Amino acid sequence: MKKSKGQLAITIVSLFLGIILAIQLKTVNKTVGDGVLPTQRAQQLAIELKKSQEDRDAAIKALDEAEAKINAYEKGEADNNIYAENLYKDLEKYRMLAGYADLEGPGIVLEIQDPPADVQFGEEYSIVDDLDLILQTISVLNAAEAEAISINDQRYTTFTEIERAGDHIEVNGVSINSPIVIKAIGNPSTLESALAFKRGIVYTLEYYDYNVHLAQETNVKIPKYRKLKEFIYAKPVEEEND
Amino acid sequence: MNKTKKPNFTILFFSMILGIFMAGQLKQNIPILTPVTLSSIQATKYEINSVNKEIEDIEKLTMQRTEQLQILEGIALGDEDIIDILDAELENNKIAAGFEEVEGPGIIIRMEDNLAETAFGEEFDFDVIHDIDVLRIINDLRGAGAEAIDINGQRVLSISEIKCGGPIIRVNGKSLGAPFYISAIGDPKLLNAAINAPNTYAYALRTIDQLNIETTIEDHIVVPKYNGRFNFLYAKPLKEGD
Repeated sequence: MKKSKGQLAITIVSLFLGIILAIQLKTVNKTVGDGVLPTQRAQQLAIELKKSQEDRDAAIKALDEAEAKINAYEKGEADNNIYAENLYKDLEKYRMLAGYADLEGPGIVLEIQDPPADVQFGEEYSIVDDLDLILQTISVLNAAEAEAISINDQRYTTFTEIERAGDHIEVNGVSINSPIVIKAIGNPSTLESALAFKRGIVYTLEYYDYNVHLAQETNVKIPKYRKLKEFIYAKPVEEEND
Repeated sequence: MNKTKKPNFTILFFSMILGIFMAGQLKQNIPILTPVTLSSIQATKYEINSVNKEIEDIEKLTMQRTEQLQILEGIALGDEDIIDILDAELENNKIAAGFEEVEGPGIIIRMEDNLAETAFGEEFDFDVIHDIDVLRIINDLRGAGAEAIDINGQRVLSISEIKCGGPIIRVNGKSLGAPFYISAIGDPKLLNAAINAPNTYAYALRTIDQLNIETTIEDHIVVPKYNGRFNFLYAKPLKEGD
């Protein structure tokens, strides 16, 4: 009697052990994928990604060179003639606003890092779920008279959309991810106080456990917009006295 | 007594060996398998695609810049006049920057607070339009490729703020009251989908918050030019070699 009781206990324990083992292996299989193949695939993809990024850097360099040449020509020619010089100055101003010029100046840098894992109570969320806050940050910076804004080195222009794509954010069609770095050129103290306002952006972000660093900087560099915006539908209104 | 003790001891012994082997087995697998999850492969693939798209955009812009450069080189030959070139370039950048009135097909969105007596929320907060609602809708329109956007006659640019100020919304430093008319020039079908398709932000505002949002597709919309602040006090163009 005593012996069969012990056997029964062992049987039950073994059964449990088996089930737990099976579940464990199944989960590992599901999340990791099977075998060695994915490892190779991942390495291939990593190489491919690196190559693409190098290509992109080369393309950016070619573009920069062409634009530097254009600027040199325009400036060189404009120096000969006062009217042309004024035109060139005007042109530069509109290029700055349209986003087709690299800019530098004093301003602020806001870095938003995803909340650390331990305070999340099992429910994971990241800045991807809080795009509203990025849009509001930009609006607040503009209200504080920011002159140029970039998000992870993507210039914020009149045509810039901030969209969610899976677990990424797309800005100007380029995917970015946490940490989000928003840079703005303008009066540093105005910009900073606009964001650090009580119950403002920084307060809200910190309330949701994001790691936020806000700092004034004397020289913020903001890159230009690298997309050709073609106007297909919108045409300038012809003035009647033309 | 002896008989029952002996099997217990063997089982204990074997369990310990089993435990050690299992631990060894799992430990061995971890360094090979953890870096490659299926989702990380997917993420890399996605990133490669987006980098390739970026390269395409940059190359398009480079082509356009090279053409410009060729025209500029014509000056040296006496074929072209610098003033004409600068004038044309100025015009292009003015349009891109939003300093020209533009016209074209698009949609007009009318947004109004929920005016019903028995409104949706316990608080009036839910029944009125906030800055974030307008920001989200404009972001969606930009995602759908809008070329020019205005709210109640205020052109929305990259430096336009959209902020709540009590009962009104401030855009470009001007106060606007409900109802808001947002006009956007672009592909009317895409723009309409960005507002009316299920699961868009505007759809949620209309069906859940029951704000009054109506869209009309128009063949001809005129979007006025920007007349807000435009002074770069802090930002300077980044000069190479400085």
